[in-house]
Amino acid sequence: MKNDLLKKLVDLYAGHELPSELEQEMEVAAVTDFAMKADMVSLRETVDTLQSDPGPEFTEESYQRILMKLYARGAAIQPKAPAPAHLQYHLPIQG
Amino acid sequence: MAEKRWLTALSEGDPNALGGIYELYGERIFRYTFRMLGNRTDAEDATAETFLRVVRRSAELRADGAFRTWLFRIARNLCIDKLRQHKLMELPPDAQYSGAEERTTLRVTVHQALNDLPLEYREPLIYCDLEEMSAKEAADILKISVPALKSRLYRGRRALRDKLGSAMERTP
Repeated sequence: MKNDLLKKLVDLYAGHELPSELEQEMEVAAVTDFAMKADMVSLRETVDTLQSDPGPEFTEESYQRILMKLYARGAAIQPKAPAPAHLQYHLPIQG
Repeated sequence: MAEKRWLTALSEGDPNALGGIYELYGERIFRYTFRMLGNRTDAEDATAETFLRVVRRSAELRADGAFRTWLFRIARNLCIDKLRQHKLMELPPDAQYSGAEERTTLRVTVHQALNDLPLEYREPLIYCDLEEMSAKEAADILKISVPALKSRLYRGRRALRDKLGSAMERTP
């Protein structure tokens, strides 16, 4: 396949959407086409970086705060587990 | 099919149903809203409000497989409302994620670059690359065609790549 046609497939290559035979054909063509190679490599790195992002942590504190917001707004909701002691509200000790 | 069971229970007024749905989808909706809004407090608010709207509209629910799309649409609308409020009040997003691994320079740079992208490009990246949804599901949430979604996704990836530029080259 001509390089002009292969260049149109760079977005699919970056997203791992091509069959392996076509991926290999692109990689062979990229050996002599530095601009296409740079495009392929940098775009795939971008996709791989995004896809390996673990994302924000859904902490126990966030889980409980959302439950409290739901309670406060009148939703009938039963948590599977009670809130840990450090997240429960306490009355101040009278001295 | 836990989803079907909880949705049926919710439509029948079972008081345990919302808890079940929250257990199933709470984390995904929180992660999504955090990625859209860029801070934990707003993400918690938007997640709670999403589930409250599920309860309020439980009469419309059908356990036909489209629930997740509907749920993400509710969360998306809430996020867009909040983003508009931020814009009006000129509040910058706080893109700090907790967790040692997430504090690496590249991750912070990626999150900042993502937040700088126009929403039109940012959303397909969140759905398809970060939340690992299919193009069809992402297109359904955005109410656009799959080719339109893919066009935005590919342009978004290129825009993000250009913003990241040298930061990616410096990372081994």
